[in-house]
Order: sequence, then C-alpha cells, then structure tokens
Amino acid sequence: MGYFKRFLIIFISGAVQVFFASYLMLELLGFNLGWHLSNSNIMFVPGVLVFLGAAYLTFSYYFLDSQKVNNALYDEFTALRAYKLGSVGYGLKGMGIFILFSIQDWSNWSFQMANSMIYQIAAFAWLVFGVLLVCFSVGDYQESKIG
Amino acid sequence: MGRSHKKLLNNLEELRKSAGLTQQELSESAEVSRKSINAIENGIYVPSTVLALKISKTLDCKVEDIFKLP
Repeated sequence: MGYFKRFLIIFISGAVQVFFASYLMLELLGFNLGWHLSNSNIMFVPGVLVFLGAAYLTFSYYFLDSQKVNNALYDEFTALRAYKLGSVGYGLKGMGIFILFSIQDWSNWSFQMANSMIYQIAAFAWLVFGVLLVCFSVGDYQESKIG
Repeated sequence: MGRSHKKLLNNLEELRKSAGLTQQELSESAEVSRKSINAIENGIYVPSTVLALKISKTLDCKVEDIFKLP
C-alpha cells in the first residue's frame, strides 16, 4: 500500500458516494431525474464500496504492509488531518439536519413524509461523508506525487 | 529559528540539514510520514511528546535544542 493506492481507494469511494447521494438528494427535493432507481438501491452501492475499501485498508494494515509503510501512512499528522475533516463534517451535518427539519411540511405530516425525511438525512450525511473522503484523498494524491 | 508555530518555535530544518538528513530519512527514523516532518518544520503542526523525543534522538540533541516556547 502506498499513498497513490490509498488515494485511489478513498477517492473512488468518496466520488461514488457524492454521485449517488447527490442524485438521491435531488430526487427527494423534487427534481425528477427519471432513472427509476429505488432509494434503498442508491444507498446500497456506495455503502458496499466504503465497506470493501475499509476492509481492504484494514487487511492491508495488519497483513500486507510493513511497519515502515504503516508508520508513514497512519501517523499522528494524518490522524490530525482526519480529525479536523471529521469535525468539519459534524458541523456540516448538524447544519444540514437543521435545514432538513426546517423545510418539512409538518402540518400535513405522514409516514411517507417521515420516510422521505429519513432518506434526505441519510443522503445528506452520505454526501458530506463523500466530500470529506475526497478531500482526504487529495492529501494522499499530493503526497504520492512528491514521494 | 525557522518558520514556526505561534505556540512553539522550532529549529528542526536547520538541525536536520546540519545532520545531513533529508526529510524522508528523518521521517523513516522517527517512524512518521515525510509530511509530518515538513509540517513541523513549517510551523503547521506541533508534534507529540513521543515524536519530539524520537526526532531529538535521531538528531542526537536535546528536545530543547529543536523546540522552544515563544
């Protein structure tokens, strides 16, 4: 595992998440894109990619890479970068959920609308998470070019 | 003192160069990424105690020779 390989894994996971989450958000907010995909199927694809990517990174850390490689890839500065991005993510998710709650039509509330709101929150969380993954991967790409 | 963090002055770049080490070589010896060494030298990142001690051990000097409070 090197910086470029980790960049590819994280970038692809993030970009796919951004794509599907954006699509779902647009559908739920009333833009009819007409792909006829069910909400659950849309959420499934990036979920599988993230799961496989995380599994490979973990397997690689414990079974494939040397200590020297792991020291470079998972050091304290990288952890700080991930922590800072995570903090930004929490902030964005908080604001997004507040907005999503605010735009609901509470006077005509129904189970269908509740279901839709849950998907909106999930799609927004995926979107933020995907953007953060892409941002994190950019650092790995820059390092791979230097290294 | 080189470019430093507002809470911690550092002399790392100068000491590393006088020891004849590249950032990559120092990072391997201190068991971190090259990016960490670069970030410390440029005052972007304040290292942990363990990392500061590892760097000082590699450069064969005291931690106080590398890092100082402003």
